[in-house]
Amino acid sequence: MDGVSIAGRGAPASRPARLLARLRVLLAPLPWLAPALLLIGAVVLWPVVEMVRTSFLAISSSGATLGGAGTRNYKDLFDEPDLGAVLLRTLLWVVGIVVITTVLSLALGQLLNARFPGRRVVRWAVIVPWAASVLMTALIWRWMLDNDSGVVNRLLLDLGLVDEPVNWLAHPGQAMAWMMAVAVFVTLPFTSFVILAGLQSIPPEVYEAARVDGASGWTTYLRITLPLLRPALLIGTIINCINVFNNFPIIWSMTQGGPQHATDTSTTFTYKIAFFDQHVGESAAMAVVNFALVLFMVALYLRAARRSGATS
Amino acid sequence: MRKQFAGATAVGLSLALALTGCGKGSSSGDDSSGKTIRFVAAIYDDNTKGYWDGLIKDFEAKNPGYKVNLEMVDWEQMDRKVKTYVQTKQAPDVLNYNAFSDFARDGLIYKAEEVVSPQVLSDFTPTFVKQAQYQGAQYGLPFISSARLLFYNKDLFAKAKIDKPPASWAEVQADAQKIKAAGATGYGLPLGPEEAQAEFYSWAMNNGGGWVDSSGKWAINQKANVETLTFLRDLTKSGVTQPNPETTDRAKVFNQFAQGRIGMAIGGPFTKAGFIDPANKNLNFGVAPLPSKNGSSHDTLGVMDVLAAFKRDGGKNKEAVRRFLDFFYSAENSSKFLKLEGFLPVTKSAGDALSADPYMKQFVDALPTSQFAPTGNPAWSAVAGAVKQDLGAAVANGDPKKVLDGIQQTAEKAG
Repeated sequence: MDGVSIAGRGAPASRPARLLARLRVLLAPLPWLAPALLLIGAVVLWPVVEMVRTSFLAISSSGATLGGAGTRNYKDLFDEPDLGAVLLRTLLWVVGIVVITTVLSLALGQLLNARFPGRRVVRWAVIVPWAASVLMTALIWRWMLDNDSGVVNRLLLDLGLVDEPVNWLAHPGQAMAWMMAVAVFVTLPFTSFVILAGLQSIPPEVYEAARVDGASGWTTYLRITLPLLRPALLIGTIINCINVFNNFPIIWSMTQGGPQHATDTSTTFTYKIAFFDQHVGESAAMAVVNFALVLFMVALYLRAARRSGATS
Repeated sequence: MRKQFAGATAVGLSLALALTGCGKGSSSGDDSSGKTIRFVAAIYDDNTKGYWDGLIKDFEAKNPGYKVNLEMVDWEQMDRKVKTYVQTKQAPDVLNYNAFSDFARDGLIYKAEEVVSPQVLSDFTPTFVKQAQYQGAQYGLPFISSARLLFYNKDLFAKAKIDKPPASWAEVQADAQKIKAAGATGYGLPLGPEEAQAEFYSWAMNNGGGWVDSSGKWAINQKANVETLTFLRDLTKSGVTQPNPETTDRAKVFNQFAQGRIGMAIGGPFTKAGFIDPANKNLNFGVAPLPSKNGSSHDTLGVMDVLAAFKRDGGKNKEAVRRFLDFFYSAENSSKFLKLEGFLPVTKSAGDALSADPYMKQFVDALPTSQFAPTGNPAWSAVAGAVKQDLGAAVANGDPKKVLDGIQQTAEKAG
């Protein structure tokens, strides 16, 4: 090895020797990168490859692999009469929750950034829903919304807002609205803290300059705060989109996507295909579609963000 | 020198990662003698693990050199775990589950005669042997059974001036109305995805309906079933059930029954210890046969869980599995489990022990007339899955005939 490098450094080196030397420079970082690369390969890439492979296999209801299935799993999936509605609902679920959360978090972040007595306590209080397990939060909400013993109905009855207990989670429209509210509730802490961090990174001099120029509060917010928050909003939105899209515990513990498929998103739908319909291959095909949708969403968003970043 | 050392370390680290990454995470396959077996057991309640721990300790003491690794799995997780184990070729040697026929179809499990002694084999009650067969051969080992009967609240019946439990559907309808007029829910109908197939079949079989016709072909949208579902829909629409049966699970119904707020509901042996006693030990309730359309003959829904023994390379685990299963199926060991968990026997020898308890005796007596879901058909799991998801819609805004047509289609597609 040393011989090669000496030859490489030597004055009139032959062509192959030079190539070898270049290769060596290129490969030199590899031993240090390899552990990370292997980890990424094993933890990130391998499951994806495995998922795609499974979607082209015929898998028996027992779990045994029976051989290749060609594109039959995908054909079965696209023949599902509920697929269209489920995908549309997933879109509503993701966009609705992310937009509402972001708007609320902008206000909340502003509040947390302001100086007032007891700010520390309020900051802690906002973190709590984040610290609690999503599954527990969803289960507690399910009980609170119960038509028989739930506290929500009790409250509404006592206030005279309803005449008899409402079975909120049995009616698809109401169930979706409540589940989205719960999802917003658990997504708020992360988003508002990302925005808070963004707010704190804006240098005070900029605001001073705005004040000197006589900008009003709104103008300052729209012209200075929001544009400077763009990196924080970008990160927050991407992570939220992916998290909300993949959210399983809220829907599963509150309605199981039912009645029938009326409150399914593509994530719970994937699970039901595998464990109610016993069709693991088709479920893997659905998972591949989900994966593609997430990639597409992220790519779209990054592009939009880069373009708006370039013009400003 | 130092740099080289660091480089070597890095290479070594990645090598180690690669090796552990590719190494098979095997928990059972590393035993070359076949004397160590892995047993995946379902958690029925808090006592289950203690029972198996004790039994395995006993077994290992009496069979030196043999070892059983116990893995307890919650029913909620069971389907997922089993599929994953089979798919990754890490199936346990013995599995405690509620289905077996697709394992038999795919050639994954031993026939019963290969893994238990002839004495044990002949001790199984014939009703259950029939349920444990796939294409005429017994693969499943009946493990526990259960039956369903009509529970009724005697105090509510007295308040509504009803003197005996209903025998016919017309009486169910009339009694439910009276109980509703007396201020309680007439009939608790759980048609949510948790176990809609059991509730529906309990009614359908008592109208001559069922899942298959006499030749064994799927007959889910047959006239008797449509009639049954229409009856349940009428019950719901007349307001004598709890609201929204399509999203109600059994726990909700039993809890309200235990609180004395539901007049009638279909329950099993576990209903008393699991729901009624914890809420109200003094609840004045009775147990009656499942009501039938005509009110004369009454069938009971039977449920059975099984043990299945998975094949392992060249059958080298057979001896250990046989020893373990024979040990469990001794009258003493198996009846102890049934008593502990409140289930019904699947063997003749354990049967008599349970009939001493008058509450349990009602269920033991109902077993001979029990009808089972077609668990010997590998497609049943998929059909049950479709029933769980879709059946409830028929009592909400769906049409019974259309809902059953849809499930029939799914069934025919599944095989």
